[in-house]
Amino acid sequence: MINILTKKLFVILIIFLFGIQISIYLYNQKPSYENFSEKSITVENFSSIVLSNSGITKIGSEKLNKVDENNIFLFGKSYLENKEYKIYGKNIYINLKEEISNSDENVKVINSMGVLNAKGFRNLDYDGKIIFEGEVEFVID
Amino acid sequence: MKVRWSLLLINKCLIFFIILFIFSKLNAESYVKADDSLIWDSENKNYVAKGNVEFKNERFIAFSDKMIAKYIEENNEEIFTIIELFENVKIEFEDEIFTGNYAIYTRKDNIIKLTGDVSIKSPSRLLTGYELIADIDNNKRILNSDDKETLVEVLLENNANN
Repeated sequence: MINILTKKLFVILIIFLFGIQISIYLYNQKPSYENFSEKSITVENFSSIVLSNSGITKIGSEKLNKVDENNIFLFGKSYLENKEYKIYGKNIYINLKEEISNSDENVKVINSMGVLNAKGFRNLDYDGKIIFEGEVEFVID
Repeated sequence: MKVRWSLLLINKCLIFFIILFIFSKLNAESYVKADDSLIWDSENKNYVAKGNVEFKNERFIAFSDKMIAKYIEENNEEIFTIIELFENVKIEFEDEIFTGNYAIYTRKDNIIKLTGDVSIKSPSRLLTGYELIADIDNNKRILNSDDKETLVEVLLENNANN
């Protein structure tokens, strides 16, 4: 009697363990929907200095979001300043590796010639070019 | 009564000077306007404007489809030296209107040179040709015809009635 009971328990245990194995196998087959990304860093009322092709550029914003090692996003009112220009805008994206900054928001640029107003910009710093798309007005002093 | 009149006079003078100041500021303002794009190339020292370009300086207003303005840096200031205008060029200088397909203005000698179906229009005349050279400082216009055999030279006196 005890032998039969032991055998039955043993079979139940094996079935139970087998079930666990199956569930582990099936669970491992399911795709993961969890995002694995680098931890982003957000700083408020930020200002810093960046060394680029055009020299030292001072950057600042209401909120800075470091997307990854090479990309930062200046959220809210932001600015870029160096010896050639001062760019005042909003929501500016900067790629430090490519030396490109851009924004689709209204922008005001002050340089030694005058004041420029545009509806966005793309600053190719490595090339020394700033492209203003759309309507542009440049008032010369 | 006397005080009242004096205050009124001061007030009127003040308004007059404010209007004069605003008018002189507006009139002296130089600008570049473009509908499509403007590229500032600091390495090649130029600005390229595209799409209904409007350029104004202290001498004239110019309109065209495209503009390339070259500049130099003097005493930490950028100064336009050569302005090139492409396609549908129209330049308004005092009571004259110059039109053409291409124009180049050099600040150094204050000369505007237009080519390709050019015309010069003033209140009393309209002249057409292939090439127009407008010497602003000397008030002189040279208009060459298409076949380049005929040459028309126009000298405008400062007080001429056209």
